[in-house]
Amino acid sequence: MQIIFDNVHYVYSSGTSFEKHALKGINLKINKGEFIGLIGHTGSGKSTLIQHMNGLIKATSGKIYFNGEDIYDKNFDMRTLRSKVGLVFQYPEHQLFETTVYKDVSFGPKNLGLDKLEVDLRTYEALKMVGIGDDLIDASPFELSGGQKRRVAIAGILAMQPEVLILDEPTAGLDPRGRDEILDQIAKLHKEKNITVILVTHSMEDVAKYVDRILVMNNGNLVMDEEKVKIFSRYKELEKMHLAAPQVTYVVNALKEKGIPVSTDVTTVDEAKNEILKVFKDKIQKI
Amino acid sequence: MIRDITIGQYYPADSVLHRLDPRLKLSGTLLFIISIFLFDTFYGYIAVTVFLVSVIKMSKVPLKYIMRGLKAIIVILLFTMFFNLFLTQGDVLVRLGFLKITRQGLYSAIFMGIRLTYLILGSSLMTFTTTPNQLTDGLEKLLSPLRRIKVPVHEIAMMMSIALRFIPILMEETDKIMKAQMARGADFETGGVIKRAKSLVPLLVPLFVSAFRRANDLAMAMEARCYHGGDGRTKMKPLRYHRIDYFAYLILLIYMTIVIAISVIENRLPSFL
Ligand SMILES: Nc1ncnc2c1ncn2[C@@H]1O[C@H](COP(=O)(O)OP(=O)(O)OP(=O)(O)O)[C@@H](O)[C@H]1O
Ligand SMILES: [Mg+2]
Repeated sequence: MQIIFDNVHYVYSSGTSFEKHALKGINLKINKGEFIGLIGHTGSGKSTLIQHMNGLIKATSGKIYFNGEDIYDKNFDMRTLRSKVGLVFQYPEHQLFETTVYKDVSFGPKNLGLDKLEVDLRTYEALKMVGIGDDLIDASPFELSGGQKRRVAIAGILAMQPEVLILDEPTAGLDPRGRDEILDQIAKLHKEKNITVILVTHSMEDVAKYVDRILVMNNGNLVMDEEKVKIFSRYKELEKMHLAAPQVTYVVNALKEKGIPVSTDVTTVDEAKNEILKVFKDKIQKI
Repeated sequence: MIRDITIGQYYPADSVLHRLDPRLKLSGTLLFIISIFLFDTFYGYIAVTVFLVSVIKMSKVPLKYIMRGLKAIIVILLFTMFFNLFLTQGDVLVRLGFLKITRQGLYSAIFMGIRLTYLILGSSLMTFTTTPNQLTDGLEKLLSPLRRIKVPVHEIAMMMSIALRFIPILMEETDKIMKAQMARGADFETGGVIKRAKSLVPLLVPLFVSAFRRANDLAMAMEARCYHGGDGRTKMKPLRYHRIDYFAYLILLIYMTIVIAISVIENRLPSFL
């Protein structure tokens, strides 16, 4: 087990009339190398939940363990935790501050106390991963387009080479091509380096394409925690929480209702295509 | 941490104070501040304290929340008290090396501390119980006579209310950026003065960028809704005094009379403190 949540509660502005119980007893286990999707409607507590994972906010009650160690123990080193759990915030481009793209991305690795060569190496590697070319390395981050800024900001976390990578809606406001590029890159990283990835998103299509396991938040509760296919088969419950399954789930379910024997375990367009073709082929063979 | 700064914030609650006319609260606060600087004796202090405590009680804002506002000025408070304590000339009470504490210094330090504390409590109580909109309306109405001598009253009031409105937004933004940089290993808490000042760069640059962006957005949004300053603007909810407001004015008047009376009488009588 890499990360364990044991009955974690979190209350914002406790004791005032702005009080908000944002997490209500979360129990959760995350294993090394998993690719997890975290979904839930606006304000359900997703961002609050992930900020606990690298100790940016401290649970009002409950415990969190990282690799078996209690992160609220006073001997626990938060800096190590933050270097191992990389968190890309919602709209990360708002945190850029340096004069050049290179300097901004190297801020993280420098804070880790690495030597110059290693910092250089990681910075270039991270920039390459997010598709920022050499021509932009010495540009000011404020001159870039919104999508380029986003990539630079994500590179800033990748350059720290975390073991767990958490992304809070990394693709909100990007064009479809840019979105696929970034997520493909992260999936590749997950596969090659076996890093744990937690993806917070509102796009069911992204969830369907990349993740294995889904966590569903609703009003501060973790209401579902299962394999992707199982979650999507409960799409009627998802709808009650202002969520939905991917489009193809609806297509295959409609087909099934019409008596066509497709499997409803498909989640992406490609899988659905293959499944439908298979059914047709079977039919033709029977004739 | 950063959210502890509560000065200038509105605290929603259902109390008499929340319902009062903003003009009354503005002038009341001004009078209260004057009264703080009138008293310099024990009885005056009691009168002011009784008034402040009862107003705080009436406001239904939790005491803990009000007190948080003091945290922000604790340094200024201590500084002022320190200088008053050691630099006032008079009858020496204690000598500590080259420093000396005088009786007059002790009094003025205590009174100064109390005055500053009350000043902050009183004025933050006004903003706790008055929405920025009401505050702007009240200010604009109170200052409106100045319009005749070409003071841009509406603009001043608008600027003030926008500034107040931006405090929580910028605070939230600061919190967010701080967290984002901490996630990249930034350290805002340890190190010497220079290192700490340097560590603020990753916080301040994005904060300024975002403040300008927000200001720009707001200006656009206002223009898009045809905002063109105060000329010919009418109010959806014009301010009107109710009976309770007249009653509150009466209380204010009585309070001021008492404080002034005390300070006049006490100054004539020999001080026994
Ligand atoms: N700094 C804060 N102070 C007070 N309340 C907050 C704060 N941040 C979030 N909240 C409240 O906590 C709840 C959960 O917020 P959170 O940001 O975790 O939601 P979310 O699931 O990430 O939503 P979104 O999809 O919009 O990003 C919301 O009701 C929100 O209003
Ligand atoms: Mg969020």
